[in-house]
Amino acid sequence: MSDHCIRDRDLAAVAAATPEPYYLRRREFLRLFGLGVAASAFLPLTSQAASTGFPDALNAGYKLDGVKITPEDLVTSYNNFNEWGQAKDQPKELANRGWKTRPWSIEIGGLCANPRKMDVDELIQLLGPIERRNYRHRCVEAWSMVIPWDGFPLAKLVDLAQPKGEAKYVRFASFFDSANCRAQRSNDFPWPYTEGLTIEESRHELAFLAVGLYGKPLPNQNGAPIRLVVPWKYGFKSAKSLAKIEFVAEQPKTLWNQLAPNEYGFYANVNPNVDHPRWSQKSERVIGAGFFSGKQATLMFNGYEKQVGHLYAGMDLRKNF
Amino acid sequence: MNRLARILGNRLFALSTLIGIGIWLLVVPALTGGLGANPVEKLLHLTGEIAIWMLGAVLALSPLRALFPKSRIVAALNRHRRAIGVSACIYALLHLAAHVVYEGGLDGLLRSFSKPFIWYGAAGLSILIILAVTSNQFSIRSLGGRNWKLLHRLAYIAAALLVYHQAIAGKGHWHTGRWLFFPLASLQLARITKQLFMRPARKHRATAILTTVANAR
Ligand code: HEM
Repeated sequence: MSDHCIRDRDLAAVAAATPEPYYLRRREFLRLFGLGVAASAFLPLTSQAASTGFPDALNAGYKLDGVKITPEDLVTSYNNFNEWGQAKDQPKELANRGWKTRPWSIEIGGLCANPRKMDVDELIQLLGPIERRNYRHRCVEAWSMVIPWDGFPLAKLVDLAQPKGEAKYVRFASFFDSANCRAQRSNDFPWPYTEGLTIEESRHELAFLAVGLYGKPLPNQNGAPIRLVVPWKYGFKSAKSLAKIEFVAEQPKTLWNQLAPNEYGFYANVNPNVDHPRWSQKSERVIGAGFFSGKQATLMFNGYEKQVGHLYAGMDLRKNF
Repeated sequence: MNRLARILGNRLFALSTLIGIGIWLLVVPALTGGLGANPVEKLLHLTGEIAIWMLGAVLALSPLRALFPKSRIVAALNRHRRAIGVSACIYALLHLAAHVVYEGGLDGLLRSFSKPFIWYGAAGLSILIILAVTSNQFSIRSLGGRNWKLLHRLAYIAAALLVYHQAIAGKGHWHTGRWLFFPLASLQLARITKQLFMRPARKHRATAILTTVANAR
């Protein structure tokens, strides 16, 4: 009995200190993950705690010492999410005009022993517990952030699906919902948004499926309810709002690669030595660093060279950009 | 109509509009934190947009005058061609300044100039500067009317370079570029067509077309 009382009281305090939609969503989130009891023990009555959200533990291996985490309001107001506008300040508004990201069905299929279609929250429960990782995020447009993601390794999902031997690639498709998403009524882009990884890349410990950031469920504009995060590749590889994950034998066609193959390669590893045709990739603008901050040097594989370099041993990274 | 034309023709009105656009779109957001997560990039984009639309406005005015010679409003707006053109150049210089701040250092700046897309911008800006600097009575007199006119036709080349610069500046920018390009091209076409048909058909047709094209400014 006491558990319930505490929880309700705490949630009332959270409600008082948190904007309505967040509060409702978090409550749902906590309930869904069966974290209610644990949460009540960790949620003090201060508004400070109210804004830090559910208690997933930081994975100490991904703390990223010595870098400044990008403030939350910047992470959630500067997004490339072309389904919801071309300008980066549009998704925050357009993705929150009634677009529903729960309930959400996600399909795992293709060349695997365990294909299934289910509700995203079921999947999250299957793959949990959720952990937090601070990852560098480098956009192909030469800007960067550091983002505290909440989620789990993609490898867990791959293991769950049990891909067959012929599966050499994984194809990720975002939602297609032209009834609710105006941009998808136009043929300017080959919707849905698709991306791909090699099967080795998908099993790498760094490849991540995020369901939250800053300890809260993903806001719509950041790719709710579930998205890919591949920190050593340019941001466009990290497909948002996933509807389908498929194991395939051939390298999948990906959206940006189809639109401009000379600009956006399949691998799209962060690489300061291979320029985009229109701008240098040697350096990047750090979001939130200030008006006169200039740019900082971009690191090979976005600073994850030690962990992922071996995946590309012997590969010509100029050709396979 | 006359009242509107008088207001539109007023120098002070034009000047405060041209400066007001910058204050409203650049200065106010800058002071109130309205530039978003990447403020210098926002300034870069806004100044570029303002500059190119002002350039588009100047280029629309002369064909409009030829198409509607009796319109007082068009005549009133045509008084401000120099002011609008010089403003386009000033906003373009602010755009360059935003780019310099964004890159933040000589390395980055020099690297950016290794990209063709930047050359189009730089070539366009050079033309705008030449035109702005020669937009005065002294230059018209010392160059001679004919040469001056010829020189100022570079504005069309600048527009073509800059629409291209904008179109390739980012993904999907052609979508805005075409809103500038097609209306301007249509206006020019309409003007040429009109001059072609309004001209007494005395001369050989081919020469008529040639003269028209040559005079179409
Ligand atoms: C040396 C001269 C110039 C440089 C270095 C320059 C640089 C740039 C850069 C870096 C961008 C942004 C690309 C991006 O965000 O990916 C840009 C975009 C743009 N520039 Fe320029 N530019 C120059 C001249 C001009 C001039 C003279 C005009 C117009 C009169 C102009 C109009 C634009 C426009 C309209 C855009 C697109 C803005 C948007 O994103 O909405 N630029 N330029």
